[in-house]
Amino acid sequence: MAFRWKYLIPRLRRDQERQMQEELQALAEIAGRRELGNLTLAAEDARSEWGWPWLDGILADIRFAFRTLRRQPSFTAVAVVSLALGIGANAAIFSLMDALLWRDLPVRDPQSLVVFENSSRSYFGYTRFAEHAGPVMESVAADSGALARHLDTGNAFERGHIDLVSGSFFQTLGVNAELGRTITPEDDRRGSPALVAVLSHAYWQRAYGGQPVLGRTIRVEKIPFTIVGVAPPEFFGVTVGDSTDVWLPVTATDNVFPGPSWLNFKNNNFLSVIGRLRRGVSQRQAEDALTPVSIQTDIERNGPPPNEAERRELFESRLQLEPATKGLSFLRDRFSKPLRVVFWMVGIGLLLACVNVMSLEFARADERRKELTVRLAIGAGRWRIARQLLTESLLVALASGALGIAMRKPVAEALLRLIAYGDQGARLNLGLQSGVLLFVVGVSIAAALLAGVVPALRATRGDVLPGLQQGSRSATAAPVRRLLGRAIASTQMALSLVLVAGACLFAYSLHQLRQFDSGVTRAHLLVVDVNPADAGYAEDQLIPLNVRLRQRLAAVPGVESASFSQNGIYSGRNYGTQIQAEGSSESDPRHQSVYDHVGPYFFTTVGARLVAGRDFNERDDTGAPRVTIVTSEFARRYLPGRDPVGRNLYVATARNTTETYRIVGVVHDLRNNVRRPQPMFYLPQLQTLTQAFSTRFLVRTRLNPLAVMASLRAAVRSEDAALRVDQMDLAEDLFDRTLSTDRLIAALAWGFGVLAITLAAVGIYGLLSYDVTRRTAEIGIRMAVGARKSDVIRLVMREVALVCGVGLAAGCAAALGMSRLVAGMVFQMKPGDPLVEAAAAAVLAAVALGAAWIPARRAARMDPMDALRNE
Amino acid sequence: MDLLQGTLEMLVLRTLVFGALHGYGIAKAIRNSSKESLDIEFGSLYPALKRLELKGWVASQWEMSESHRRAKFYRLTPAGRKQLAREHSKWADFVDAVARVMGTAPGESQ
Repeated sequence: MAFRWKYLIPRLRRDQERQMQEELQALAEIAGRRELGNLTLAAEDARSEWGWPWLDGILADIRFAFRTLRRQPSFTAVAVVSLALGIGANAAIFSLMDALLWRDLPVRDPQSLVVFENSSRSYFGYTRFAEHAGPVMESVAADSGALARHLDTGNAFERGHIDLVSGSFFQTLGVNAELGRTITPEDDRRGSPALVAVLSHAYWQRAYGGQPVLGRTIRVEKIPFTIVGVAPPEFFGVTVGDSTDVWLPVTATDNVFPGPSWLNFKNNNFLSVIGRLRRGVSQRQAEDALTPVSIQTDIERNGPPPNEAERRELFESRLQLEPATKGLSFLRDRFSKPLRVVFWMVGIGLLLACVNVMSLEFARADERRKELTVRLAIGAGRWRIARQLLTESLLVALASGALGIAMRKPVAEALLRLIAYGDQGARLNLGLQSGVLLFVVGVSIAAALLAGVVPALRATRGDVLPGLQQGSRSATAAPVRRLLGRAIASTQMALSLVLVAGACLFAYSLHQLRQFDSGVTRAHLLVVDVNPADAGYAEDQLIPLNVRLRQRLAAVPGVESASFSQNGIYSGRNYGTQIQAEGSSESDPRHQSVYDHVGPYFFTTVGARLVAGRDFNERDDTGAPRVTIVTSEFARRYLPGRDPVGRNLYVATARNTTETYRIVGVVHDLRNNVRRPQPMFYLPQLQTLTQAFSTRFLVRTRLNPLAVMASLRAAVRSEDAALRVDQMDLAEDLFDRTLSTDRLIAALAWGFGVLAITLAAVGIYGLLSYDVTRRTAEIGIRMAVGARKSDVIRLVMREVALVCGVGLAAGCAAALGMSRLVAGMVFQMKPGDPLVEAAAAAVLAAVALGAAWIPARRAARMDPMDALRNE
Repeated sequence: MDLLQGTLEMLVLRTLVFGALHGYGIAKAIRNSSKESLDIEFGSLYPALKRLELKGWVASQWEMSESHRRAKFYRLTPAGRKQLAREHSKWADFVDAVARVMGTAPGESQ
């Protein structure tokens, strides 16, 4: 056995061969050749004793395939590159889907982790569950997810992501520190938290270069924390897509978020609560056991229900748990659908590449027909030759697979950046998993088989004699070959149509979205984010500061007007509360609504359209009657058929009281999500005096907004050198970010669409060139007996029409079938829109005709004498 | 006369008991000792030799032949000797068993 392996070593093999030849030579001299019989055969048989004949055969195939492929560099390059693009894109998408949708958290026994769904997600709620979950859960943990904060390592000062976690977090997950220790319940003391930090492996490498860090100090918003540990490399937290740099005890929240205490406030939702079920306890049993705790917590937060209906509703409510096996993810919710669409697009792209390579293989087999027939004639088996051709395909596919793997990571990272546009921190573990590797190898082999089998089988069919007698140029066995050629070109057309129709659909949808009136005049509008709490301002100083900053910003040359708000425009951040509109005819007039605290002239500044009433101004302060402005959607939903202006709005406050505001205006909807208007109302911050977040200033400029950005920063600093502009964005950019998914899909669809069109054009061109060459004699005779050029062109074009007709019809059907996949993703149009399909079909038909024109003209210009002489 | 499967290797080993021989020498020796009734083709003998060499039952070495020509000579290794002993007893058992079944030829008993 050992020798057989060694026999694969070329040097040993040559040595052995030389020895054998010498021996046989010597014997022949002693005995005479005739005496010994067929020495070549004897040597052949002896050789097969040494190695594995089948392996030798395969190695010979591979060597021969290498030589053949090297002799045809253009074919090899085209085939490898097109397959590599297809395989690489598929592997990238597969990696993303794997990381985002399929992979379990890298923690102990992820199957028994659950997340609390519809319960209070405040610190108060977490402590309640932690106290009472003992009988059904091993432990309960809270986690804020990644939050942006300034980190100061002593060498570098940068914005990073912290994650506030309960002391039970690492224990619950069963994650041990790579270095030092994790955060423990002893660190997590309410009132006097241990100021300790655990670094993520990536941050340790990035910020400290992997140097010893235990015991060193890292400042988070100027507060010193002692580094006690580093998390293992694969651990990113429980939110897939987050990239946490530093974990801190949740009880240190108020240390790093100055301003109103997050921990004391019972009604916020800044934590995710996760638990580990005890062995043998089902999710349902845990829900049953903890529902009373959930109800009790609700009463403690909001007070007892005011009426019977609400009481019944509360007591019938039920705590919901969800499996957290794969972690939590905002990315997953937003992108699982788009990713599936992209997965299909790249899948079709790969299929298209395979079909393209298949047609190349056909052309190559035609060229090699003579060689193959010679080999058949001298006794090679059909299977032997097919195996040789398949080896070549496999070699091409595996080379493409290797290239594809090399492309996978950069492509996946680029895609991730595209889909998480505006969220620079989004990071996924895109390491090469064995599943991904298997997928790529599998896809490569499938591609090789798909592209190689049919041509290989075809090439070895037919009689030996005609192949030898005729030149390769006019090789026959034509009807089947022609049918196959047509089938390939039609398939290319059909696949292309699906992609091009998708491209048209998504591009038009994106166009509609951009054109849609989102309620804000985006041109010349800037959003400037300043966080005064970071600069040490106390709660009661915040709103006077906002007023002063507004005046400074408005005074900057080139600025037309300025205002401020809590949440700005196109942001995911909001306030929500319970409201009731006066004069509502509904049986239950109470609703949950989203709102914002805004400054004077907010609507004028953002360029919103007031449908009725007036904008807020400087006089709407604590000395004046309380006023509010509602959106048209709000009026439509909660005050249908009534004039809202002049009515009262009753708004529940965080202090469990109700305040009354008079509606003084109705504004055309300011949509954060263009697809859906949201009922919203606005309160003057000068009256509510509430500020829980940073301030977002709105600045409308007369000049190019980019030109005044520096002056705006200077204006903020001139108020107080400690103040920083955290973020300054063009309204256009913020709006574009809300469309990031649509843009991604549209861009990808276009990329694949163009690729598809190119491949289809090449396919049609190849088919017709072959056809014209094959029919040279026929065309020559036709012209000799009086056919005109136009007749010849018609002859060729009939072929195109046939291929196009079949391909486009099949493509339309396929596109219709796929339309279900994109339902809900396109804006103001139906996925199966016949107009879109017609447009795509028209584009493709035009391209096909263009591609056919060159061979058609060549046929028409043919000299009949030349054509006939060729025979 | 045709050979039974695997018998050739046994014959080669037996032939080498008397000393080292080159490939053609082995063929000749078998022919001689079988009184010409076993004519081994070199084409089948040679791969069998290589097989035996691979199994470690024979070893080869370049030497001078009786006619003063260089040739590769094969000799039995200790392992080959043991193998021959095993084959021998197996062969004897086989011949016995076959003889018992066949008895005397039916034509001759009359």
